[in-house]
Amino acid sequence: MNQATKASARDAGPASSYVDTENGLVDRTIFSDEAIYHRELERIFARAWNFMCHESQVKEAGDFFLTRIGEDQVIVTRDKKGAVNVLLNSCRHRGNTLCRAEQGKARSFMCPYHGWNYGLDGKLVGVPGYEEFYRGGLDRDEWGLGHAAQVDSYKGFIFATMDPDAPGLLEYLGETGRVGLDIAAKDENIEVLPGIQKNRIGCNWKLAVDNLFDWYHPTISHASSDRSDFFPLQDTLYQMNQMVMLGDYGHAIAGPFVKPEGEDAASDVENTYGTQPIMPHPNIFPNLWIALNGTQLSLRLPRGPFETEIWWFTLVQKDLPAEERRKTQLFATHFFGPGGLLEQDDGENWAHSTRATKGIANRRYPLHYAMGKGKDKVVDSPLGHKRVETVVNEHGQLWTYKAWAEWMDADSWDELKQNHTPAPTGRI
Amino acid sequence: MRAAIGKEVTNTLRDMELEARMRMQYEVEQFLYNEAALLDDRKFQDWIDLLTDDIHYWMPIRRTMNANQLNEEFTKPGDMAYFDDDKEVLKYRIARLDTGYAWAEQPPSRTRHLITNVRITNFEEKEIDVESNFHLYRSRLDTEEDSWFGKRCDRLRRVGSDLKIARRHIYLDQTVLLSTNLSSLF
Ligand code: FES
Ligand SMILES: [Fe+2]
Repeated sequence: MNQATKASARDAGPASSYVDTENGLVDRTIFSDEAIYHRELERIFARAWNFMCHESQVKEAGDFFLTRIGEDQVIVTRDKKGAVNVLLNSCRHRGNTLCRAEQGKARSFMCPYHGWNYGLDGKLVGVPGYEEFYRGGLDRDEWGLGHAAQVDSYKGFIFATMDPDAPGLLEYLGETGRVGLDIAAKDENIEVLPGIQKNRIGCNWKLAVDNLFDWYHPTISHASSDRSDFFPLQDTLYQMNQMVMLGDYGHAIAGPFVKPEGEDAASDVENTYGTQPIMPHPNIFPNLWIALNGTQLSLRLPRGPFETEIWWFTLVQKDLPAEERRKTQLFATHFFGPGGLLEQDDGENWAHSTRATKGIANRRYPLHYAMGKGKDKVVDSPLGHKRVETVVNEHGQLWTYKAWAEWMDADSWDELKQNHTPAPTGRI
Repeated sequence: MRAAIGKEVTNTLRDMELEARMRMQYEVEQFLYNEAALLDDRKFQDWIDLLTDDIHYWMPIRRTMNANQLNEEFTKPGDMAYFDDDKEVLKYRIARLDTGYAWAEQPPSRTRHLITNVRITNFEEKEIDVESNFHLYRSRLDTEEDSWFGKRCDRLRRVGSDLKIARRHIYLDQTVLLSTNLSSLF
């Protein structure tokens, strides 16, 4: 293919024209084009099941947690009937932000502008001057908060979608998504440790996401960690012995098998992966990375094409002895998050990859995602899961971009259901 | 409700002669300024030597909370944090830089620590509690800039004739960190 002319000859077109799955090439335009970004908000984030928070974060009636679905801020609440609601954090009167605290407890949400007051379930329950000023001209029942079309949880992890036509959460997750979440859910007796780390990186969200499948980068990106003996990557993980699971709608898992020396760092996943210890990195499409063997969740929230907010949730088993709990917390703090000894070195790479996608000349040169392409085949795991067993590869990344293009080009959930590529079998 | 940081000046301190207080204030300020200079001059090994072996270097997570829940503004010890380090981990942070592969600091950032509002809040035989405000400015590569403001609650300990840092608790003013990472020391 003539790489130098491909992108420049085209101003727009279907998303699939930006992802060359035959050759494993991705056009850089998709990381910086404003129109593509807005389409992502509409066709990916407003359509997908987005991770909201864990049930332990909204345990009691009145508990709330603020997050986002695309660029729309939502309040996750537990109402008095015990139901979880996902409400748009914008007053129906003039659109003002209702809730400004990132989490907490509330009886209702009163708008600081004119005082419209909404219940924990989003119903409009109070309007100043309802009789005197509106004089019967406002039907409160019609003016409750906007809300998610569907809210559901899988083993305590709450998800929401803005699309009424989305399939149910279980169907959406499919086998790969469920296996991915299972390592975090453990025996379901878990809770989120207080404190969500939040920071902003000047990168496109997709470049943060594709890094989670990337077992090519640790020996270089995290060499300082290896060489200072903080975490001896080379002694812990097999580069030549890796596993990849690819699922419908873009979910994927990629990870190395772990050497006997590193078994402490491996996931306790006999139930989900078979017997050989492994360090799996699942992504629940589009933006939820299950990290550190299910001890952490890293959510990548888009804040424009050039900005991503990274949120780290840390999970612990409720009945863990204090000492073990402390160990888990310290490990997570030292490893990941903006101050983490490993994670520190990632962000700048993604920011600089993003930066270069703005250049007109650079856009003529697509990015290379072809490692291992055509060299592997899907086999059955000891537990009967379809997976690839191979060396370091880029199957997870390319799968993500292939799915991305399918989401972007589908006009509706119906179309996506029909036209998406099912999890592969045979050679990939 | 008062957040669990910051202390009023104690009686022991109030009873001290003004001159003795001034002498202590001077010594503590000079110590903090010299420490800041070591960090800005990238003399990290010398900086490590200013820490006691039992140092707790901690930056809790701050959250935007409503006024009635301000007691939950900062995460508590044992909750998640941005830094929760003992000396061993701090040594790894420094050792990392020496490998030449610590990409967040390669090329190294330029930092400037401005330490102000230094207040001695407690004083016991061998230990001095000090609060200070800081502005840590980081200039990185061509155009990257970070500005971290906040407050540090330090416990300094007299070891021989020197002062050492036995505790540093760092309270940032941002809730969502507007930075790619925290590869600088506070
Ligand atoms: S904008 Fe909310 S009450 Fe007017
Ligand atoms: Fe990494």
